[in-house]
Amino acid sequence: MSPELPAAKKKAAAESRWGFPAGLKAPAIAIGAALAAAMGFIVISSGNPLDAIGFFFSGPLSSPYFFGNMLNETGGLILTGLGVALAFRSGCFNLGGEGQAYAGGFVATMILLAEPAWPGWLGIATACLAAAAAGALVAGISGYLRARYDADELISSFLISSALLPVIDYLVSGPLRDPGSNLLATKAISPAFRLPSIMPPSHLNAAFILAIFLAVGMRFLFSRTVFGFELRITGGNREFARAQGIDPKRYYILGMAGSGAFHALAGALAVIGTYFTCHKGFSSGLGWNGIAVALIAGNAPLAVIPAALVFSYVDAGASSAILHTDFSFEAGSLIQAAVFLFITARFTRARFARSHFAHSHFARVRFGRKP
Amino acid sequence: MISSIVDIMTPFLLAALGGLVTELAGSLVIALEGFILVGAFVALAVAGATGSALAGIAASAVFVTAAAWAFGRFTIGTKANIFITGLAVNLFAAGLTAWASAVLFGTKGVVKPAGLEPLARLSIPAIERLPVIGGLLSGHTVFAYLSWILALALAVFLKRTRTGLRIRASGMDAQAATVRGVDPDRYRLIAISLSGFFCALAGAGLSLGAGAYIPNISSGRGWIALVAIYLGGRTTGGVVAASAVFAVAEYLSNIAQGTVAIPGSLLLAFPYLVTFAVFVGYAIYKKGRGKLD
Repeated sequence: MSPELPAAKKKAAAESRWGFPAGLKAPAIAIGAALAAAMGFIVISSGNPLDAIGFFFSGPLSSPYFFGNMLNETGGLILTGLGVALAFRSGCFNLGGEGQAYAGGFVATMILLAEPAWPGWLGIATACLAAAAAGALVAGISGYLRARYDADELISSFLISSALLPVIDYLVSGPLRDPGSNLLATKAISPAFRLPSIMPPSHLNAAFILAIFLAVGMRFLFSRTVFGFELRITGGNREFARAQGIDPKRYYILGMAGSGAFHALAGALAVIGTYFTCHKGFSSGLGWNGIAVALIAGNAPLAVIPAALVFSYVDAGASSAILHTDFSFEAGSLIQAAVFLFITARFTRARFARSHFAHSHFARVRFGRKP
Repeated sequence: MISSIVDIMTPFLLAALGGLVTELAGSLVIALEGFILVGAFVALAVAGATGSALAGIAASAVFVTAAAWAFGRFTIGTKANIFITGLAVNLFAAGLTAWASAVLFGTKGVVKPAGLEPLARLSIPAIERLPVIGGLLSGHTVFAYLSWILALALAVFLKRTRTGLRIRASGMDAQAATVRGVDPDRYRLIAISLSGFFCALAGAGLSLGAGAYIPNISSGRGWIALVAIYLGGRTTGGVVAASAVFAVAEYLSNIAQGTVAIPGSLLLAFPYLVTFAVFVGYAIYKKGRGKLD
């Protein structure tokens, strides 16, 4: 995807094993569908649809608090979006993001609750690295199984993640729960190990800046390093990679492990910057939303930033509109579903060529096609 | 014991049979989980409203089959990635059932319509006393018998009928099928619709069998069914055997729950762990066998 490639080649390069369309059309349709789906459900559920729609668009921008929280959500989505994109680019599908993010947050909490006598930055860095290592291990297993035994990483990563979720749920609401708290959560981490806030009283914190740096870093990795180049070749065409002397197995494992590390980092930073404790289900949605964001971005690292911003705007808008509906419901999965349904769909004129319509008189006149 | 295992096996088997058809057609649907969930909800809502379990089953089958058809039509028509659109169905099903439950029943929790009894179990007088066979053949809801009949019917359908053969041809080599005048897209659409039908029955069996709809009642069965297809070597008989393996595993975990003091929330992880272990074990076995060939 380097800029000197001609447009046609650039488009071909953007289409990996999973067949993502390049360009802005598909993301625009997918986001439009997500908006329509969320608003549709809100309008049916609301006694006063016009007000609800007003809150949908203005809610996230109505105060520094809501705006900051939206940006904070964006930061998390950039990280998981990058994680998903990294796996996709290596030709793998990481479906275990939910569990990996949860595990990352859990590991970071455990380290910081031990209250090592370190300066704050060292504690935070250690917790982040340990979380990333845990995530890399969890996802790396799936990458290894794909590389070594040709076992589908989509299924295995999902199964591992689904097994992890109830285990961590149990730990934070059972043996490791803070008895003094009403929440199903561990003790809060010491203020020394919390990331500095950027826009108080909102939750926006330094993690957002780190996420943007990492997006730039991944762009550099893909376009300027041998590792990134070979990873993309592997994801694009396994046989071609092998013919070039690249070992695809290496990139399946590293792609998945890196993906897990990013997810876990997102979970860890959510604890260190936002929640300061590991409460039950705190990372819920981070993994699925990351997939949606990566797909909208066409797996291009820098495009992940605006994709995450738009997605979290829709998500935050839906949440604020639902506060004003007659009953509350989770719009998150509906928004994700709309994005997934439309993002890989191709609404091209080529469809006409295959349908009966193409052979009709009207089609010949209208599009100048020969029967 | 055998009776409980058969009960546990039924939804796995139905869902896995539906998934098998799509896998053979070359368009594996990972939306089984979502289809089961919607099937369970529709069956219970309609049965609760009409007081007739049969109406619930019929409504569920019609609705989910139609939804699966629409999903297939959209995915094939727009050449979308069927894994991603399948994920969309799973997520949408979770959101939709929670929303519909709030609208229709005013709760996001367990829905138990008044006057709706759990589905009757059919006992066969002479056979029910026999050891093993008694548990196997008697004392189940209609869904267990239905799943066996459908498994048999599906095996015949895939091996002996024109449509079945064409479905498999579409999966083996779409180009060759096209050259022979078989439109793979058409047969994939039939396969996807069939998977909706099977999953609707799996879901209806879960909710009507309990006489209640519990949020996330499918609890991963659609995903485990996917592994059952793979483990069953993509054959009908293999899928039956693989479903039995998962049913035995879940039965053992239920027993463990009663005897060993494992917290209930931790046990939620068990089906996934067992499935993962079986999945990995089979992959290693297959790889090892591949080397010998």
